[in-house]
Amino acid sequence: MTLVFHNLRKQYGSHVAIDDVSTVFQPGLIHGIIGPNGAGKSTLINMTAGSYLVSGGRISLDDRTLSGLKKYQIANSGVARTYQNIRLFDQMTVLENLEVCFYPTQVGQVWREILWPPFAAKRRINRRDVCMELLSFFGLQHYADAEAGSLPYGRQRMLEIARALVTNPRVLLLDEPAAGLNHHETTELTARLAELKSPDRIMIVVEHDMDLVMSVCDRIVVMHHGKLLFQGTPAEVQASSDVQLAYLGTANDIDDIKTAAKDRRAQLGIRARRRT
Amino acid sequence: MLGILIQQTFNALTIGAIYALIALGYTMVYGVLRMINFAHGEMFMLGAYAAFLALTLFVGDIGGVGALALTLVFAVAVVGVGLVGVGIERLAYRPLRNSNRLAPMLSSLGVSLSLVTGVQIMAGPQPVAFPSFFPATRIGILGGTVTLVQIGILVAAFVLMAALYVLVNRSRAGIIVRAVSENRSTAQLLGINVNLAISLVFFFGPLLGAAGGILYASYYGIMTPTMGAVVGLKAFTAAILGGIGSIPGAMLGAFILAFVEVAGTALLPVLSGGLLGTEYRDVLAFVILILVLLVRPAGILGEPVSEESMVYKREF
Amino acid sequence: MSSVDTSVQMRMRGGRLLSLLILATAVALIIVTPFLPNYYVRVANGLLIYILLGIGLNIVIGYAGLLDLGFVAFYAVGAYTYALLASPQFDLHLPFLLIVVIAAAVGAITGILLGLPVLKMRGDYLAIVTLGFGEIIRIVINNLDWLTGGPKGIARLDKASIAGIELARPTEIYWLLIVVVFAVAIFVWRMEKSILGKAWAAIREDQDAARGIGINTTNAKLAAFATSATIGSIAGVIFAASQRFVSPDSFALQESVLIVLMIVIGGIGNILGIVIGAAILILLPEVLREFAEWRILFLGLLMIVLIIVRPAGIVPRTFGPEKLIRGLFGK
Repeated sequence: MTLVFHNLRKQYGSHVAIDDVSTVFQPGLIHGIIGPNGAGKSTLINMTAGSYLVSGGRISLDDRTLSGLKKYQIANSGVARTYQNIRLFDQMTVLENLEVCFYPTQVGQVWREILWPPFAAKRRINRRDVCMELLSFFGLQHYADAEAGSLPYGRQRMLEIARALVTNPRVLLLDEPAAGLNHHETTELTARLAELKSPDRIMIVVEHDMDLVMSVCDRIVVMHHGKLLFQGTPAEVQASSDVQLAYLGTANDIDDIKTAAKDRRAQLGIRARRRT
Repeated sequence: MLGILIQQTFNALTIGAIYALIALGYTMVYGVLRMINFAHGEMFMLGAYAAFLALTLFVGDIGGVGALALTLVFAVAVVGVGLVGVGIERLAYRPLRNSNRLAPMLSSLGVSLSLVTGVQIMAGPQPVAFPSFFPATRIGILGGTVTLVQIGILVAAFVLMAALYVLVNRSRAGIIVRAVSENRSTAQLLGINVNLAISLVFFFGPLLGAAGGILYASYYGIMTPTMGAVVGLKAFTAAILGGIGSIPGAMLGAFILAFVEVAGTALLPVLSGGLLGTEYRDVLAFVILILVLLVRPAGILGEPVSEESMVYKREF
Repeated sequence: MSSVDTSVQMRMRGGRLLSLLILATAVALIIVTPFLPNYYVRVANGLLIYILLGIGLNIVIGYAGLLDLGFVAFYAVGAYTYALLASPQFDLHLPFLLIVVIAAAVGAITGILLGLPVLKMRGDYLAIVTLGFGEIIRIVINNLDWLTGGPKGIARLDKASIAGIELARPTEIYWLLIVVVFAVAIFVWRMEKSILGKAWAAIREDQDAARGIGINTTNAKLAAFATSATIGSIAGVIFAASQRFVSPDSFALQESVLIVLMIVIGGIGNILGIVIGAAILILLPEVLREFAEWRILFLGLLMIVLIIVRPAGIVPRTFGPEKLIRGLFGK
């Protein structure tokens, strides 16, 4: 059970936002996607969730092709996401924000619930239990009947993650979950994310907060100008001079970076030799 | 045959010019506020009534009035309606600028209804004969008859549209409006007076709509308080057809719609073997509307809605 | 802490009193009305039909957040279905209940046929397309003389009857309407409280995020549209059966706008609000007879003012029927 990008490509007119990205996301691990602004991190998330069309290549989950499906179909295949700018249903209560995710895929179920009160009551209680449990996990149980839009910003972030989790998705896409959170909230988020790791769940986090990424992620994909620059464990990423240059340097092209990195390695090598 | 063709072409051009004047108001308002202004058809109606009022107040009798006096009446009426438009925006739409998308549309429905009934109460619900602003001279062109009224309407409409084109593309006011249409929040950050831009749109939009109303009333020689509804709807169709938010699109859409309507009215009874008469002319416009929205929702000159703006756009 | 408790208790007691008062008044009015002179019963019937229309249109506007300005078309579809199937026009005289079922089906199908192309599009175009559709239906009715009788309409419609009981006098129609209004209101209320109602709310709030959590928004909107059309069509049948005459005049464009107005004034998305809105819309001109023509002007201005100062309408969304019931039992 893996989520695979096969030669993924995204183009706006002549501008190539994602260029030939192929990678595999494993279940039971938290994958981070990092890179400077405009590197194409959010575009990857948006394509996976079906918010953007794929211009070339393919996304597949298990053996099923996701790219090309409608957004709600992708969601129903077990892909859930959060948004860079929080997008809750502001005027619905916190509990309703979760309950609505149980919208059935079969129309018959919908009508049965309207026309047959006992069935509706049973379903409602089941839904409520699952949702309340999840709310407690995120420390939101006391807000259950409050309007989602009235929650403090940090709580809204947590609620959005809870909403993504409520149907127990196989792929969880988090688009900058720590954006706008204070230090305390970020710590809490880090702890929650670690707890959410499960052997049958693929978690992908796009994030700017390096402390969070390095502490919580098992694998990291580094994007640069729409291309996949590097992938590996946090330690490997930290050690990679390519990555350091992408973040610190001014090089525009991956090849530039690689050459520059080689030069720098050579320099460092010389320097290191001199020291010893 | 050629004569009929020329005559019908002029009929279509005349109607198209009037639709274009109204469609411009819809498209400009949609450009800056992304709202459908249901009260815009009423600006068209108000124009005719305002001109009638100005005529009876300042001139008295229409016979023997010079062109200058008529132009003055025309100017007073359209500027008056323009100011009404600005006032309506201030009172009924501005307080709703940050609410959901449904609210301003509902408010404009209320405005529309209030204006129609207001005029009904003051001027009576019955149709009123409207004096022609142009002498009823007929001109023969290659076997077809074209009235001076038609030519006058075409000239007036094109002068107004040309003036708008210059205003939008060459003046400072035009730059402000275009900037706000492009991206309101960015324009605001750059220090552009967004309120001024919106007021300008709500001045010139109703002004053109009112001009359309006066020309329409003097073309058909009649005005009613409810005349704005159907013509407004057609002008809106024209705006969508051309690509809502696009000024040249509104003009193009208006002429296309007018030609289809005139051709359809002439051909429908023939093609359907008499089953569908000319009374289905109005249906034609709405069928076109639905077809355009199905096939190319962005319209002919409109920019297709990009995926990004779809993702981060809240529907009401 | 204890002061907070007492204030909550007091608010509960106040709520209970209010609920009791509202329900008692409603029951009293329902029971007393049929014993009033026929004129009042007729006014009440008009009111009930508008409540029915309001409940139907509110599904689309209040729950799903879509502006439908051609609702009156479905009302016309229902009325003409009855007129064609129970009149000398084609000498067809089908039983009333069968026509209700047929009209409901025809209404639903019309709704789906119009909704399919439109509901995939951007929300703000829906208003204009439905407005156009309302006009198309009216123009067609006006001109299809062989079928609809044109502007003259169709007269001498059959009296409605259910199981041999004739429903023709105002009080009989009144009881029919009371039953239908309650049945429809309960059904729609259940819809709102179901998962479908929550999906509508999500679509209203953020359509794209609703898709993102797996809601087939086109289908959910279509369900709203079709249900609303069905209710409009049923209201049309009862209207035709009570008037025993139909003509295009009853289905003008303005009628659609008036129903929208009624919902907005009463309280968008709330069945109780619709009752209040309909009462204002229908009773106002009856009370102020000599100012009849000022009524729509007044309503139009009231709508603008309300949207600006009290967007939720007179009865806000949160004060729904469940609040009344809960208030009554003090839960």
